[in-house]
Amino acid sequence: MKPLNGFDLLRPPTLVGALEMMSTLDNSMPIAGGTDIVPTFRDLGSKPVHLIDLGLIEELNGIEEEDGKVLIGPTTTHAQVLASKILEEAAPALHDAARWIGSAQIRNRGTIGGNLCNASPAADSAPPLLVHDAQAHICSLEEGHWIPLQELFKGPKMTVLEKNEILGGLRFTPVKGAGSSFQRIGRRKGFTLSVVNVAVFTQRDGKKLKEVRIALGSVAPTPIRAPNVENKIRGRKMNEELIEEASAASIEEARPIDDVRGTAEYRRDMVGVLVKRAMREAWRRAGGEL
Amino acid sequence: MVNFELNGADVYVEAPATMTLLDMLRVELGVKSVKKGCEQGECGACTVLVDGYPMTSCLILAPQVEGRHVCTVEGLVDNPLMKELREAFMENGAVQCGFCTPGMLLSAYALLSENRHPSEEEIKTAIEGNICRCTGYVAIIESILDAAERIAPD
Repeated sequence: MKPLNGFDLLRPPTLVGALEMMSTLDNSMPIAGGTDIVPTFRDLGSKPVHLIDLGLIEELNGIEEEDGKVLIGPTTTHAQVLASKILEEAAPALHDAARWIGSAQIRNRGTIGGNLCNASPAADSAPPLLVHDAQAHICSLEEGHWIPLQELFKGPKMTVLEKNEILGGLRFTPVKGAGSSFQRIGRRKGFTLSVVNVAVFTQRDGKKLKEVRIALGSVAPTPIRAPNVENKIRGRKMNEELIEEASAASIEEARPIDDVRGTAEYRRDMVGVLVKRAMREAWRRAGGEL
Repeated sequence: MVNFELNGADVYVEAPATMTLLDMLRVELGVKSVKKGCEQGECGACTVLVDGYPMTSCLILAPQVEGRHVCTVEGLVDNPLMKELREAFMENGAVQCGFCTPGMLLSAYALLSENRHPSEEEIKTAIEGNICRCTGYVAIIESILDAAERIAPD
């Protein structure tokens, strides 16, 4: 195969160093695990790209709890997410999703920030974070700011990040009496992109859904929340009829396309199936019975 | 200049950023057990251990292993666990063309280093990034179960 070409690699040890490079160098691009982007470096344009490797910056890596929030560094690998007791407890959907990203080799190398910034509509990290109401920290040499994760995605393979900005972190607030679930369908079981993926978050008030959030992946230009469905079922008594209703309503929210991995029709049907599975599991994890 | 540890030895290589770890190992250092397959991180033939974790060397840029420990099957020739795995692979007919074997052995080695009693499902998860086009996986999975039993008979 054609050799890699058209770039150089800079490895700043600090975040400030990386941000300075991003803002001063023409044609710069951050790289973390590289699992999505390295194979694309065979057909870069004639203008050399300055890759800014975030791998040495310690403050961008790891999972911690602080002031009632869970913080996830963008260069945290999928293997780290999978090994995290904090996330297994506070965001089971995200923990489960990490299992299905890539292969063992990819999970050891690929990062959660890379998965999000690559902005694939099928990114498995996205629906779980969306239902946990995660926020993304936008970093530049100016003061950083937090945005709802949903706003990071602009379209397929597009984020709102400006040329001098990087995703500096993710955060969400763990909720007591809540549970979440991630469900996906791929063309085979392991090491495959999702044809459809779904995450559901439920919080219980006795037998009622105190809070419910639904996110759908690979059925729109970006991963999406389904607020119309959430509003329809929030506060109501949880049972199989409600699950059927949410499933049918979710199908209406999906705007899938036909592509090599599946048809729009199949995706719509599978959204219905996965929403049911995810609602049941999220509810059980919240301590509820059906 | 990239300085890293390869199979226990300190090495220095003149390698540009556009060179992958895979090419640095095969072309510059002559480590031929690391195979070049898809060059997209899909097939696992180029798997190496970086600080003990299996990764596809085709997706790693040479300067990114500065200061890290890289291990290939050559570095585990005398390792007791790898020896059991090798023998189990041979006895169970888990090798045909051999192209996937070094990567497969490293993925299995990483699994058994962490988990001495893996289930069949855990083995499948550990090797899902290693494609074999000859034997069809059954003999490979049996070999890994077999090696696990030999190293931890209880």
